[in-house]
Amino acid sequence: MTTYLDWAATTPPDASALAEAAGLASECYGNPSSRHAPGAEAKARLEDARARLAAAMGAPVAGRCRLAFTGGGTEGDHIPMLAVLRSALNARRDGSIKVLRIVTTEIEHSAVYEEAHILKSLGLDVRFVEPRPDGRVAPQDVAAAVDKDTALVSVMAVNNETGAVQDLGGIAEAIGAASSALGRRAAPHFHSDMVQALGKVPLVFGSGKPGPDSAAFSAHKIRGPRGVGAFWTASPPEPLALGGGQEWALRPGTENLQGAWAFAAVAEAAGRTFEPRVEGARALERRIIEGAAAIRGALVLPEGRAPGDVRYSPFIVSVAFPGLSGEVMVRALADVGVAVSTGSACSNNSKRKGRRVLAAMGLGEELSLSAVRVSTGELSSGEDVDRFLEAAASAYGKLRT
Amino acid sequence: MEAFYLIKIGEILLKLGNRREFEDRLRSQLHARLELAGIPHKVEMYPGRYFVRVPEERARDAEIILAATPGVNGYARAIKTEKTVDAVLAAAVEVARGRFGQGLRRFKAESRRSDKSFPLGSFELSARIGAVVLDALPEAKVDLHSPEFTINAEIRERAYVFADPEPGLRGLPVGSGGTGLLLLSGGIDSPVAGYLMARRGLALEACYFHAYPYTSEEAKQKVVSLARILASFTGSIRLWTVPFTEAQLRIKKEARQDLTTLMMRAGMMRVAQLLAAKIGANCIVTGESLGQVASQTAENLRFTQSYTDYPVLRPLVGMDKEDTIRLAKRIGSFDVSILPYEDCCVLFSPKHPMLKAKLGREREAYEALGLESYLVEALEKAERIDVAPEWARAPRLP
Repeated sequence: MTTYLDWAATTPPDASALAEAAGLASECYGNPSSRHAPGAEAKARLEDARARLAAAMGAPVAGRCRLAFTGGGTEGDHIPMLAVLRSALNARRDGSIKVLRIVTTEIEHSAVYEEAHILKSLGLDVRFVEPRPDGRVAPQDVAAAVDKDTALVSVMAVNNETGAVQDLGGIAEAIGAASSALGRRAAPHFHSDMVQALGKVPLVFGSGKPGPDSAAFSAHKIRGPRGVGAFWTASPPEPLALGGGQEWALRPGTENLQGAWAFAAVAEAAGRTFEPRVEGARALERRIIEGAAAIRGALVLPEGRAPGDVRYSPFIVSVAFPGLSGEVMVRALADVGVAVSTGSACSNNSKRKGRRVLAAMGLGEELSLSAVRVSTGELSSGEDVDRFLEAAASAYGKLRT
Repeated sequence: MEAFYLIKIGEILLKLGNRREFEDRLRSQLHARLELAGIPHKVEMYPGRYFVRVPEERARDAEIILAATPGVNGYARAIKTEKTVDAVLAAAVEVARGRFGQGLRRFKAESRRSDKSFPLGSFELSARIGAVVLDALPEAKVDLHSPEFTINAEIRERAYVFADPEPGLRGLPVGSGGTGLLLLSGGIDSPVAGYLMARRGLALEACYFHAYPYTSEEAKQKVVSLARILASFTGSIRLWTVPFTEAQLRIKKEARQDLTTLMMRAGMMRVAQLLAAKIGANCIVTGESLGQVASQTAENLRFTQSYTDYPVLRPLVGMDKEDTIRLAKRIGSFDVSILPYEDCCVLFSPKHPMLKAKLGREREAYEALGLESYLVEALEKAERIDVAPEWARAPRLP
C-alpha cells in the first residue's frame, strides 16, 4: 500500500465523476459544433459544464469574460504567451519581429518557463523576476520590469515546489501603477498559472478588481481526469493557434465533453469541501513542519516557514535533508512505499542545474538539491505524514553523507 | 539469391605458431554472431581467405556483423564464378556496373592468380578486364594511380571477382587473448576501454558497482545499454552488477574524508580481483587515464593496483579526453554515456582528495576499514545479466 504524498504532481481521480462523465459523453456523442439534435444536446451539456465550473471557481463570466476548456494547464499558459508572438509578428509589415517584452519569474512552472525561453530565443525580450527569499515575488520587482513595450506579465498563483502563494492583487496594482507612470494607455495583459491554486487557496480574478486578466487551470490536480484544463480570461488575447473556432477560437479543436463534464463535477466537489479540506491540510502542514523540525538536520524550505502561514499553500511543503540528495531520498522513500517527489515532475531544464526554483530563492546548491516536496490532499491522513516522517528520518540517518 | 562475402584477415596471418587456433576462433566468432542474429549462413575457410554466405535478404544484417567483428580486416561482396576467362570477365563487368551506378568512373583492375593452370597471367587478365569494362561502359576511365574503384579478380580454388573491400575492425578475434573483466561505469571512458581491448582479442565480462539508492535504476539501465553496445563488438557480454551501497557507507563512516575516493577504488579493485578469479578472467580492464581525476595519479593507481594481482589493462592511460570522446562517438556509446543519470557519488567525493597516496600508509588505512566482509557480501549479492548485442534481436526468417 502506497503512502501517497505527491498530490501536487497529480491526484487520485474521483472515480464516480469520471464514470458519470464517460456515460454522458457516450450518450451525448454529437459534435457540439454540429447543427443537428445530437450536436445541440452535446453543446447544451458543454455549456452546462462551463457554467458549473465557472460557478465552482468563482470565475467571472459576464461581458468579455471567457472560460474556455483546454487540453490542460500547460496549454492554458501557452495561449497568452503565443498571442504575444502573434502581436510581435503582426506589428511589422516586413516580417521582422517587434521586440515586445514579456515579464515572468524564475519560479514559474516549466509550462511557462520553458516557453518563455523559446520566445526569448525567437527574439522577444523576456525578463525573469527573481523571488525574494520567502519564495514570493515582490509586486514592485515585477512592476520594475515592466516597460512601454511589455505585452504580457505572467506570474503563477502558487509555486509548485514551495507552495508560496503569490500576491496577484498586489502585482496587478503595481503593474497598473507602473503602466500609468510610463504613460501607457493600458497595463500589459497579466496572466497567472493557477494550476496549484485551484481548490487550494482563494482565487483572484481581475475583473472589476485588481488581479490577473487570464488564468490557466488543470483538472487532474483536483481529482479530475488528465488532458483537460481551462483558460479563463477577462480580455481575450488573439490566439496564435487557430482551427475550427471552438471555445471562442482560444482553444480550437472538437470539444472534450467528457473531460469538461468531469472537470465541472470535481471542481464543484472541491468548492463544497473547500473549508474542511484547507483546515485538514493546515493540520497536516503543521504535522509535517513540526515533524521535520524534530528530525536532526532536516529543515523546511524556506527556512522559518511556520504552520498556518497564509503566504504558503498548506497542501505543499518543501523539506530539505542536507547531505542527502533529494533524488536519493525520493528513491529511498519509494522503496518503503512512500511517494513524494523532488518538485516538479516535469522539469528537466539543464540550464539551472538541479533545482532552479530553490536556487532562485538564494538557497545554496547543496541545500536546494537536498529538498523533497511533500504534498497532501483530501485523502491524506496524519498517519500518512507520520509514515513519511518515520521513513525519511530512517533513510536520512542511514544514507546522509 | 545468396550474398557471398569474401573476408580479408590480417594480423592473424602473423601468428604462425598458433595460426590454426586463431583461425578457428574467428570462424567460430563469425558463426556464433550470425547464429545469434538468426541469419542462415555458411562460413568457409580457404588459405588466406574466409567466405561467408548468407541469404540475400539478410545481407545488410550480415554486413553489420562483419563490420563489427574483431579479426576481420575487410570484407567485400564478391561474385564467385567458374574458372573460365569468359565467366571472370562477365563478372568483372557486373562488378563495374555496380560501382558505376554509384557514380564512380575511374577504375583499375587487379588480378591474383594462385592457380597457374588458368590460361591468362594476372597482368593479362587485368588488361582484359579493363578492355571489357571500357567496352561495356564507355564513360568509364582507366586510372591506375588514383582510381575511384578497383575491380579485383582472384583465381584460386574458384574464381572471385569483387570491388573494393569495406574496412573491418582489424585486430584479433575475440577470445584469443582470454577474458578481461571490464570495470564498467556509466561514463564515457570505460566503454571505449572495453571496445579497444575487445579489438585486441579479449572476450569481456563487465562489472558495475550499483550504489542504490544513491545511483538510480535508470543509471543501471544506462550501463546495460552501454554493455549492449559493447556486445556488438564482443558478440555478447556478461554484466555483473555489484550492490555497493553498504561498502560505500562503511567507507564514508570509517575513512578519513580525503581518502574516501581512494578507499572506494581499492574496494572496487578488491571485488574485481575476487570476481575475476570466480569467472576465470585473466586480466582487469579499466578506463583510467593518467591524471584525468584525482584517483588516477600514478601514485594512486599504484595503490589501487595493489589490491589485485591480475594485470590491470588501461588502454586509455595515455589518451587525451578528446580522443576518447571521438572514439566513444564512433562506437555509439557517447550519446548513452552523457545521459544525465549521474551517479550521486558526487556526494561521496571529498572536496580535497588525496592526490599522491603513500602505499604503505594508505594500505594501513584501508586495512583499518574492515571492508572485506562487505565486499564479499556484495559479490555474493551480485546480479548477473547476459547482454546480447542489438542485432541479436533481428527478426528470424520463418
